[in-house]
Amino acid sequence: MKITDAGIHPYPAGDSTVARMTLEAAGLGFDSAVVIGDAVHRSSGAEVLRGAVIGAASVKEVLKRVRDPAVRRADVVYVDAGEIAFNRAVVAVKEVNVVRSIHATRRNAFDHVAARTAAERGVAVDISMAPIVHLRGTKRQKALQRYADVLSLQRRYGFPLTISSDARSILGQRSVRELRGLCALFGMTGAEVTEALSSVGRIIEPHRSVRVVK
Amino acid sequence: MRPRPPAMRTKRRYILARILPYGAWVDQKQVYFAVIEAATSLLGDAAVGLAQPAVVFCEGGYVVVRCRRGTEKDIAVALATVTSVADERIALRTVATSGTIHALRRRMKPIRHLSGDEEVKVGETYFAVYRYPRQKVDLVEKGIKHQKSLFFTEADLEER
Repeated sequence: MKITDAGIHPYPAGDSTVARMTLEAAGLGFDSAVVIGDAVHRSSGAEVLRGAVIGAASVKEVLKRVRDPAVRRADVVYVDAGEIAFNRAVVAVKEVNVVRSIHATRRNAFDHVAARTAAERGVAVDISMAPIVHLRGTKRQKALQRYADVLSLQRRYGFPLTISSDARSILGQRSVRELRGLCALFGMTGAEVTEALSSVGRIIEPHRSVRVVK
Repeated sequence: MRPRPPAMRTKRRYILARILPYGAWVDQKQVYFAVIEAATSLLGDAAVGLAQPAVVFCEGGYVVVRCRRGTEKDIAVALATVTSVADERIALRTVATSGTIHALRRRMKPIRHLSGDEEVKVGETYFAVYRYPRQKVDLVEKGIKHQKSLFFTEADLEER
């Protein structure tokens, strides 16, 4: 079971290099981290996984973008969540691993239909810590409401969750213990946090039935 | 005025947090304001009023926050949401919680930069180089106010 930070944005997108962020991640209790962007993938601490984010307005565009060489090389493919119809359709796309930015969508944009499909297809929903850490007031309250809503759907349908710091700097990274405390704000238990932190490993290496090779 | 007998005093807990970036110099009063703002914003006036958080001291890259016993987890979560002190970007990493400051002082390991006379050019900007243990290198923009910081490793710096 690998504890993974499901999304960091190193230099040049942020102010810290991949090596420095993975070094910090290892010190904060992570075994691996998904690096989003075009940064040089060199680790000096935690293991580095490649992540690609697709920000598209339509499913047709997503289907086109998943064929990009950069996306095909990625270990984990993320899609930014959008409207209700888009989310319902995008969780059914085979190449998509994680739906992210759920806090920025409208209420009920990720509904029970999308949740059921996500559970059937093994598509995860990402919970970013950045809105909880950086936002204040009503914006943070809305993010917490959205996460609580996603959590209630997850408990009902059982789709995977991932937790990302969405850090652009070492100053934005948080330890596993701090993540537990932050996730407790919207009702997530310690066991659920541990499962969510280890779900990236299960996404890139899903459980398959044993095959007998003669 | 006679002090209260020990059994009737409020039980306290002390939280030790490391200040990042390592070289950041922050004023104790400003840290207090940042902690109170973060805690009030996250937990509300009622909860923070009961928790009674206070910054006991702030030195050597560490800060010790006092609170009432039983509220230390909430305050530690609030510390994780502190992102700046007096317009300077920082992070507070909780190291330990204890009932005495003495026990926390034992956990404080001073982190000093190994050298700081070098200079490096990144893009069009000149940065001062501060090296720290475990191959960590902090680059601080040369200037007087609102300097940009970059966080590299030795290998990153050599590769440039």
